[in-house]
Amino acid sequence: MLEKFTKTIRGRISRPLQYYQDICVRCGACIDACHFYAASNDPAHIPAYRMALVKKLMQGGDFRKTNLRNWWKDNTGFDAPTAEQLRKALWECTGCRRCAVFCPFNLDTGLLVSAARYASYQEGFGSEMVAEIGNAEISKGEIIDMIKEFYVEQTKEIETRLQQEFAPGLTIPVDKEGARVLYVPLVGEHAVIPLAKIFHAAKEDWTLSLFTATNHSFFTGDMAKAKQAANWIAQEAKRLGVKVLAYPECGHATRTVLSYFEDWFDGDIAGIERINVVQLAARYLAEGRIKVKPGTFTTPMTYHDPCNLGRNSGIFDEPRTLLNSVATDLRELSPNRELNWCCGGGGGLIAEPSLQQARMEGGKPKVEQIKKSGAQWVVTACENCKTQLDDLNQHYSLGVEIKGVLDLVADALVL
Amino acid sequence: MSTLEYILAYITPYLAMAVLLGGVAYQVYRWRQKKPTTVHLSLFPRPQGKLGRLIDALIDMFTLKGLFKVNKLLWVGGFIMHVGLLLLILGHIRTVIDFTILWKWLNWGPEETHTFSAVAGLIAAVLFTIPLFYLLGRRWSGSVKILSTPEDFLILFLLMGIAFTGSHMRFLRPDLDQEAMRQFMQGLYTFSWKPFPGTEGTGSTGPAFLWHFTMVQLLMIYFPFSKLMHTIGGIFNKMVMRS
Repeated sequence: MLEKFTKTIRGRISRPLQYYQDICVRCGACIDACHFYAASNDPAHIPAYRMALVKKLMQGGDFRKTNLRNWWKDNTGFDAPTAEQLRKALWECTGCRRCAVFCPFNLDTGLLVSAARYASYQEGFGSEMVAEIGNAEISKGEIIDMIKEFYVEQTKEIETRLQQEFAPGLTIPVDKEGARVLYVPLVGEHAVIPLAKIFHAAKEDWTLSLFTATNHSFFTGDMAKAKQAANWIAQEAKRLGVKVLAYPECGHATRTVLSYFEDWFDGDIAGIERINVVQLAARYLAEGRIKVKPGTFTTPMTYHDPCNLGRNSGIFDEPRTLLNSVATDLRELSPNRELNWCCGGGGGLIAEPSLQQARMEGGKPKVEQIKKSGAQWVVTACENCKTQLDDLNQHYSLGVEIKGVLDLVADALVL
Repeated sequence: MSTLEYILAYITPYLAMAVLLGGVAYQVYRWRQKKPTTVHLSLFPRPQGKLGRLIDALIDMFTLKGLFKVNKLLWVGGFIMHVGLLLLILGHIRTVIDFTILWKWLNWGPEETHTFSAVAGLIAAVLFTIPLFYLLGRRWSGSVKILSTPEDFLILFLLMGIAFTGSHMRFLRPDLDQEAMRQFMQGLYTFSWKPFPGTEGTGSTGPAFLWHFTMVQLLMIYFPFSKLMHTIGGIFNKMVMRS
C-alpha cells in the first residue's frame, strides 16, 4: 500500500526538502501562519504537521506489517483517517508559503505539498479537474493553428469595440513578429481590455499571445508538465523576437515566469526581459509614458498582496504606487506585504469544485482583515485572488467590490 | 575510580567528539548528495547576491529577526535560550584556554576576572535555563503538543540536565575543586591525561561533574542525528529559499 507514493516522493526529496525533513525543530511558529489552521484548528493544517505526516508515510512501504526490525517506525497503517489527513494536508493548502516566512529557517511547505501532490497522483488521488486543465494547457499548443483564426476574430471584435468606446487608433495586434512586448493574457476579455488601453496610451509596440498564462500543472506538482505548458509561450516569444515577455495579473503564472523560466528555458529566452504587467505599468507611469488623472477614485480601497506576487515574487511597491496615483484613500490591510494573509483560493483550489467549502472556511482570516480595514473596494492583481475574494464577498456578505489594479489604472488613463 | 568512570572520563569523550565532527560532516555530505533545486525558490524580501544572502542568513541566525516579527513570545523564549547557550559555550572555552589577552587589555587581575566570570556565568545560566521551562511548557500546550515528538522532549531534558548539574556546581558548591576540573579538561585536549576531578588527590566535586560531563557527551553524540542540525541546515536552507 502506498508504494508508488513512497517511491515517488523519495525521488522528489530535493535538497531543501531534505533540510525540511532533518532540521524542522517543531517550534510551532508556523501554526499561526496557516489560514486553514486558523479557521479549522485541524492539526492536518499545521505546516510542520504536513511534513511530519509525509515523513511518516515515507518511512515504510507496507504499514500494516508490523515487524520487529522496524519497531520504532509508526506502524499504524494507512487507514481511512490517515488518508483523510493526507488529503487535507495536500489539498487544503494554497502553497502561499506564509509559513515559510514564519519559519525561522524558511522551511518551504509549498515545495513539500507540490512534491507530495505529484506523488499522491501516482496512487490515483488528487484533483482530477486540476490535472485535466493542466493537460489541456499542454495540448493547446498542438492545435493552436486551428483555433488561431477564431481567436483573432474575437480579438478584432474587442478591438472594434474599444476603438468606438476608448480611442479610435487603438489596435490589438495578435502574433505580431518583431513586436517589443509579448503580452500573455488570461482566458476572458477582462484580461485584455485594460492592457490594450494601457499599451495604447504608452504607445507600446506590443502583441497579444495566442496562449494563456495559466499553468495548472504547476498546482499538481508535475514540473515536467508545467515546463511543457510554459514551453509554448517561451517558444512563441523566441519566434516573434520580442524583447519583453509580460505576464498578466495572475499569481502562479507570474511566479513561473519570474522564478522558473530561467532554469527551464535558459538559452531560448536569453535577452528577453520577463516581467509582470503591474511592474510594466508602474514603469510606464514612472517614465511618463502613461498619464493618469490623480484622485480618480475616492472610494476607500485596500490592496490585497497576492501571495505569488508579493512574498513569492517580490512585487510589493509597484501596485501601491499605481493605486496611490489614481486613488485618494488607499488603506493597508494588517498584516500586509510578505505577512499578508492568503485569500485561501490559490494552489489550484479554485478549479476543484469539491474544495469550495474548504476554500470558504480558509478565507476567514482574510474576511476579518477586510472587515477591519473598512475598505469598500478590495483591489488585487491576481485572477485566483479575485475569484476567491468574489466568492468570499458573497459567502460572507461583505458588501465590497473586487477590482484589479490595472482596471483602475486603465479607467484613470489620460490620453 | 570505577571502570565505568574511567571509560566516561578518558574514552568516550574522544568518541563523542569524533561522532560530533564526523556526524556533522556526514550529514552535510548527505545533503550535498541530494539534487539541488535549480529554480529560484525566491522568498521575499530577498537580499541581493550570494554574499548578501549569507550575511542576511547570519544576521537572522544571531538575532532571529524573522521570528521576532511574527511571534514575540516564542522569540523571547527561543532567542534568549540560544543567547544564554552561546555565552555558556564561550565561558566554557575558559576550561581549555583562558582569555589572558582580554584580561590584560581590560587590566583585570585574577580577582576581577573571577568576579566577572561568576556574574556573567550566573546571567548566562539564568538566560539559558529559564527559557527551557517555557519551551518545555510550550510543548505541552495547545497545538504544539500535537507536533511534539519524543525527540523534542529528549533534547529539552538533556539540556535541562546539563543546566542543572552545571548550575549546581557553579553556584551551590563554591567548595568544589574547579582547578582540578580545568586541569582535567586541558589534559583531555592535550592528550596528557590528568586525574578525574574527585579522585586521586583532587578536591571533591561530588557526582555532579560526572553527570554534567556525561550528558554533554550524550548531546554531542546525538547532535548530528537530530534536529539540532538546524544550527547548520538553517543557514543552508535560508540561502536556498532567498535565492
